[in-house]
Amino acid sequence: MDRNQSHRNRKRMLKALHFAALFMTMSIICIPGLWIVLNSFRPTVEIMAKPPVWTPSFTLEHYRAMFGGAGEGGVPVFSYFRNSIIVSVVSTLIAILIGMSGGYAFARYRFKGKAGYFVGLMLFRAVPGVALSLPLFIVFARVGIIDTHLGLILAYVAMNVPFTIWLTDGFFRQIPKELHEAAEIDGCNRWQAFWRVEFPVARSGVASAAIFAFLTSWNEFALASQLTRSVGSKTMPVGLLDFTAEFTINWGGMCALAVLMIVPALILTFLVQKHLIAGLTFGGVKG
Amino acid sequence: MSRRRLPEWFVLLLPAFIVIAAVVLIPLIFSLYSSFTPYKLTRPSTLWKWVGTYNYEKILTDAKFWAAFGRTVLFLTIVLNLELLLGLGIALMVNKVTWGQRSLRTVLMFPMMFSPILVGFQFKFIFNDNIGLVNNVLQSMGFNAALPWLVDGKLAMFSIMFAEIWMSTSVFAILILAGLFAMPRDPLEAAKVDGCTAWQTFRHITLPFLMPFIYIAMTIRSLDVARAYDIVQIMTGGGPARRTELLWTLMSRTGYVDARMGLANAMGYVSILLSILFTVYFFKKLSAARAEIGMAG
Amino acid sequence: MKNTKVLRALFASAAIVAVGESALASDWGSYEGITVEAKLIGGQQYEGLYGRIADWEAATGAKVDIISKKSHFEIDKEIKSDMAAGTTKWCVGSNHSSFAPQYEGLYVNLNDHVSKDDVAGFVGGNINASTVGGELLMLPRAQFDVSVLYYLKSNYEDADKAAAFKAEYGYDLAVPDTWDQVKDQAIFFADPPNFYGTQYAGKDEAIVGRFYEMVVAEGGNYLDENNKPIFNSDAGQRALQWFVDLYAAKAVPAGTTSYVWDDLGQGFASGTIALNLDWPGWAGFFNDPESSKAAGNVGVAVQPKGTATRTGWSGHHGFSVTNDCANKDAAVSLVQFLTSEESQLAESAGGSLPTRTSVWEANVAAAKAGDDPFRAESLAAFAEGAKYAFAVPPIPEWGETTNIVFPELQAAIVGDKTVKEALDDAAAEVDELMRESGYY
Repeated sequence: MDRNQSHRNRKRMLKALHFAALFMTMSIICIPGLWIVLNSFRPTVEIMAKPPVWTPSFTLEHYRAMFGGAGEGGVPVFSYFRNSIIVSVVSTLIAILIGMSGGYAFARYRFKGKAGYFVGLMLFRAVPGVALSLPLFIVFARVGIIDTHLGLILAYVAMNVPFTIWLTDGFFRQIPKELHEAAEIDGCNRWQAFWRVEFPVARSGVASAAIFAFLTSWNEFALASQLTRSVGSKTMPVGLLDFTAEFTINWGGMCALAVLMIVPALILTFLVQKHLIAGLTFGGVKG
Repeated sequence: MSRRRLPEWFVLLLPAFIVIAAVVLIPLIFSLYSSFTPYKLTRPSTLWKWVGTYNYEKILTDAKFWAAFGRTVLFLTIVLNLELLLGLGIALMVNKVTWGQRSLRTVLMFPMMFSPILVGFQFKFIFNDNIGLVNNVLQSMGFNAALPWLVDGKLAMFSIMFAEIWMSTSVFAILILAGLFAMPRDPLEAAKVDGCTAWQTFRHITLPFLMPFIYIAMTIRSLDVARAYDIVQIMTGGGPARRTELLWTLMSRTGYVDARMGLANAMGYVSILLSILFTVYFFKKLSAARAEIGMAG
Repeated sequence: MKNTKVLRALFASAAIVAVGESALASDWGSYEGITVEAKLIGGQQYEGLYGRIADWEAATGAKVDIISKKSHFEIDKEIKSDMAAGTTKWCVGSNHSSFAPQYEGLYVNLNDHVSKDDVAGFVGGNINASTVGGELLMLPRAQFDVSVLYYLKSNYEDADKAAAFKAEYGYDLAVPDTWDQVKDQAIFFADPPNFYGTQYAGKDEAIVGRFYEMVVAEGGNYLDENNKPIFNSDAGQRALQWFVDLYAAKAVPAGTTSYVWDDLGQGFASGTIALNLDWPGWAGFFNDPESSKAAGNVGVAVQPKGTATRTGWSGHHGFSVTNDCANKDAAVSLVQFLTSEESQLAESAGGSLPTRTSVWEANVAAAKAGDDPFRAESLAAFAEGAKYAFAVPPIPEWGETTNIVFPELQAAIVGDKTVKEALDDAAAEVDELMRESGYY
């Protein structure tokens, strides 16, 4: 009886501890982000107040100002948003196509120096953006694609292709060759067989590669700040800097833009999160 | 007809090769060349003056460069290890939860959606010693001090590490969690029957199974360790008094503000080498771990 | 903050309406069908002026295409990248007196395009600071910066404080006129972490600029005539000691070494800083109850002096025309328009300082006649302060030296090095840079 009691107590304590630790962790993960959201709705005086004001008041001032005209602290949010969407979506699609064909080559063909090619491709992904930004700028300037969507799209495709190859390679390898052969016997050509047989199986891998590529492009800053100039091509991370002037950082405004930046990423990730986990693990581990 | 002569695998890989050559390889060759010149952005003619290994000699004998280099390695070592440990802990905790696991998993992914530059601004704001959340909370709890989070050498290092860990621990947590889901039940049951303690089970059964997942996470992370640049640049810019100076901040200041691109590109090459070392190391580990549990393709 | 901006914008647009007629009446030339590409500095306080570009377009028939609008340091980075890539066909660029010497060969000498009489309309000091190696590289706009002393008036209206101060320091408590008095009073007023005596910029070019003006105020200089560093002189050590002492006495916020302008401005606006050397752009902000806890309690006085003279590090914004511009005449016309008397009147109505003598006079007179005593007080302080203004050394390496010097200054302030060690180390490194750059 006594032992049972203490055992139960211990179990209860462990449970409480587990819950407390989990709660702490989740709070640490959430609070910084929620703080941004909260501050986007607070008046500047309150954000800056000393001593701090803990009961938040609500204002849409920052959003109104952001969408407002140039004189009232407006930023061309729509243009930034559009640029970000165009660049991220197009570069993701292209990266997926190129990466998938590369991944397929690695998974389905035998050739000399395969491992070397593979690691070599990966290493290009590891080149830090800061180290690349100026030389890339000079090359792009010679070609004349500075400050265009095309330039950024190219850069992001190159950034995302290696990772896509890695993930899709793992998926294609899991698919037995026989499936493909069977389809070819049924009269499909290689191309049809690929779309009918292999692609559906590899879908999670492609989805997770796509979300990674999208998030990378959506959030990239080091290259974008160098390759974009005008409203016509600046993406949202670069746009964040519009709120830092020589003398001030407009925290409220910046938070408002940040919220706009996070929301699409949030929705997208939420939609494909199931694929994301499956894709990452199978693509990586079994590859 | 001539296309026939190219092997199919090559044709399939060609687009990838072309795009990477155009966007990464050519600029890299250019920057390699310029690292042997006294290239100044504002004096384009300096690009044609060959100075041999002068820039490399200069940085290799520069105490500040080595300090930044050492700090970068230290930063990466601490950050990656802590991310791994925390990620493992979080994954184990979430795995034990019986309800609401899906939502917890979604929450876990939250930081992955943040742009590094945004993370930088966010924590610069939170750690601000005057109006920041952390100090406001501390003061409301009765600590009568404004801790200089981004100023004091140790605290500043802590703050940027905190930001980096906040952003990237999820990658580990999510992958390890996926590993836990995929784990076969039988060995665990068997261990229980054999009377193994929880720790023994974890050490000898769970952990080895998780290793490949851990190395994937490590590899993914090592591919873009340099993302920390955005964070550090925004939060401290390498200051104060170079206490948080990393290779990347030093390089970008030398290159853009001082306009000494030749010198900066020489530093760039050292940082590229560093990234490559990290990546190759984890790739090796990953293949070894795959081989161990028989998952090698 | 928002509301001040809106108010300022209103003022500015009112002024634009008032002068709109005369703007159109002036002869800006006719450039039908020409497009002028411009790279302009962004940010609210600078963008009001760009609203006037439409007037110039209407008057000349040309079009202005703003191909880039970025913050100060981003636009600098971009222009350097342009020089590297040779993409310098655009015509008009925002410029700054501290940055101008870096862009060797990029911009035309405006002395060849603008008449002497036109140039004479600007304040002489500003024209000097816009001239590098005899070439006038930019025309100044109404964004002149020099710092004066903002202070909380209440500290000087308290008899108990005054008596306590006199007992401790032996002289009357009054708004300080020397930097030694600032130090005494800052230490006296400080009550960390709730209230601080003063604060200073703690990193980047900002702290080096502050140190530089202090060295000058102590009778020394940053570089000698051969551009050899001499800031480790006795004057330099005295100057740095001032920063160190305040930090050691906890009279400044502990975070001050990470502060740049925004943190400083917000700090004073939070009402927890007694004395604050700061820029003109903040005057309206500090005294606006919407944005500042110190509103109504803010006094403005001319900047204090060291043992030799007053501090007065200054800089100003302007516009330049590139050498590669296809239509230099149109570009020069645009630059002249943006820096014209009408434009400066409109821009300075937003609270910034003009760079034309006539606009200074008009503003001071208007403030005196107006019913805003704070504006009159601050404008008078700035008018007086501007007399002591001096620019940074006009060499391309200025920015680079600040990157060498500021970590050393910080090291001394936080106590990692002694003042002498820090300055000697910094000077040795700047010396090497100057040698490499071929000055001696």
